[in-house]
Amino acid sequence: MQFWPLMKNTFLLCIIGFVIGFPLPIIISLMLNAMKSKKMSKVLQTIFNGPHFISLVVLVGMLTLFFGRYGLVNNIAAHFGGERVSYFLESSAFRPLYILSSNWQDFGWSAIIYIAALSNVDLGQHEAAILDGASRFQRVIHVDLPAIMPMISVMLIMSIGGLMGVGYEKALLMQTDGNLGVSELIATYVYKQGLTGVPNQSYATAIGLFNSVINVVLLIIANTTSKKFSENSLW
Amino acid sequence: MASLTLKDIKKVYPNSEEKKSKKKKKGDEPEKQKANLQITEEGVVAVQQFSLDIADKEFIVLVGPSGCGKSTTLRMIAGLEEISSGELYIGDRLVNDVAPKDRDIAMVFQSYALYPHMTVYDNMAFSLKLKKTPKAEIDKKVREAAEILDITQYLDRKPKALSGGQRQRVAIGRAIVREPKVLLMDEPLSNLDAKLRNQMRAEIIKLRQKINTTFIYVTHDQTEAMTLGDRIVIMRDGFIQQIGTPQEVFNHPINLFVAGFIGTPQMNFFENCALTVDGGKYSVEVLGKKIALTDGQNKALAAKGQKACSVTLGIRPVHMQLDEGGFTGKIDVSEMMGSELHLHMNVQGNDVVAVIPTAGLDVSAHSIGKSVNFSFNPALAHLFGADGKNLL
Repeated sequence: MQFWPLMKNTFLLCIIGFVIGFPLPIIISLMLNAMKSKKMSKVLQTIFNGPHFISLVVLVGMLTLFFGRYGLVNNIAAHFGGERVSYFLESSAFRPLYILSSNWQDFGWSAIIYIAALSNVDLGQHEAAILDGASRFQRVIHVDLPAIMPMISVMLIMSIGGLMGVGYEKALLMQTDGNLGVSELIATYVYKQGLTGVPNQSYATAIGLFNSVINVVLLIIANTTSKKFSENSLW
Repeated sequence: MASLTLKDIKKVYPNSEEKKSKKKKKGDEPEKQKANLQITEEGVVAVQQFSLDIADKEFIVLVGPSGCGKSTTLRMIAGLEEISSGELYIGDRLVNDVAPKDRDIAMVFQSYALYPHMTVYDNMAFSLKLKKTPKAEIDKKVREAAEILDITQYLDRKPKALSGGQRQRVAIGRAIVREPKVLLMDEPLSNLDAKLRNQMRAEIIKLRQKINTTFIYVTHDQTEAMTLGDRIVIMRDGFIQQIGTPQEVFNHPINLFVAGFIGTPQMNFFENCALTVDGGKYSVEVLGKKIALTDGQNKALAAKGQKACSVTLGIRPVHMQLDEGGFTGKIDVSEMMGSELHLHMNVQGNDVVAVIPTAGLDVSAHSIGKSVNFSFNPALAHLFGADGKNLL
């Protein structure tokens, strides 16, 4: 496979995943923190953490059960007169399925760090804001969000630094001949080159190293930018 | 500016359903006392029977030990805590169910509670912005308040770039820009060091002269209470013990608790003193010496029809003097405070403290282990009955 399609597939999957996946735990943690019923908040937090413990094989199995040709979604569509679609053979379905399932699996787990940061917010600031006349939403914007901003900055730098570090396992499990054009990533290509068929390990190592160099460059750019525009950075 | 009326205010923190069911299963007694908290079937009672009229522009100080309910009372006035029962009026308006922002009050917190991402200017302007006050008016009010508090030069700084005292000024500034009818202060000086605390105390006294508003100030520091308040409300275990001017609570403490709480060093107490009456003249026996009470004290006791009984005699350390003909004590600790000497003595097994002016005193003659003779003026003594109430 050519370099640029591999690069494009990896980059697009990571960027879209990052754009959707990075703010999601922040929003969830702010919502859970703002809930009046702390009991309900804890119950929801536990429910949201559940998917993190599902193994990738089981997760892809679930996706097959739901989105396979004879899966739940197709059965419902067929019941209402729709046509059955083989989502796993469709190139256009690979990225949405991959990204949404990843986010579903990890948003609760990723929210833990923000929930922990929110638990340290000075209650006095909230009370001062109440007396100042701030609504619940205004308190989230003016008290909670600034309080977790250093944590958001650190997480942002780390996420950008690992942007191209997508794993090969899930993509391989979801890969079919139909979606190979978009599901072949740098990681899956390295795996195939290095460990399957006639192994070409030096070539695979070189590609892997190239990927790591990109990650390091991204990390440095993110850290420098954060240092310049906010007061938070990793070093 | 506004007067405040608190009528029989009560605050109960309800038990959780889980605790209630546990209690039912165990068949606990309906009421019990845990540390200084009263626990009933309803829950933990933090404040009760709190009735107080606060005049317009008055400076009221709520003082008491930790857990006495003073901060809870303040938070009920602010609307941050629900009032379990009773009525709270600000001016003529019943505000029990009015949202905090609509009560026309402002509060200064112990932790300053400044928004760390905003500059001093923005912190002070925040409430006015939320009220959609015109920009020019916000600017005028913020700069006026900054001028009063001498923080104009810090308006562009963020709170983390300020010292504790400066932050506290900003917190006060944020409260006064709103021109509240009532300004609430919850231990605003507790986070400051002793020197800064004294400085800020003086600043608050000055501030009071500059802004016309009613102040309610919570502290556990009796020096703050005595120096700042027009009237002091002394609380214990959720109940008001005494309301009065600083002089009243110092000179005429209503009970043993108030007598012991107000005044530094604490009042000396001599327990189990025999109060006797002979021909209308009362006398009290302290550490084996019979002391005749003054005419005024005789009249007060006679008016109450006081009979001979066992009493606790209280005398403030500042009302004691060195006197060769008085009681003899052995000095355990001698604290040189500059203008005065604090002598901690053991007198027949009782711990007694005396504050002696150092002017003309040979301080070296009053070191640890030495004996000293002292006496006190009976006119300045307090007598407390078995129920702890002041008999005079």
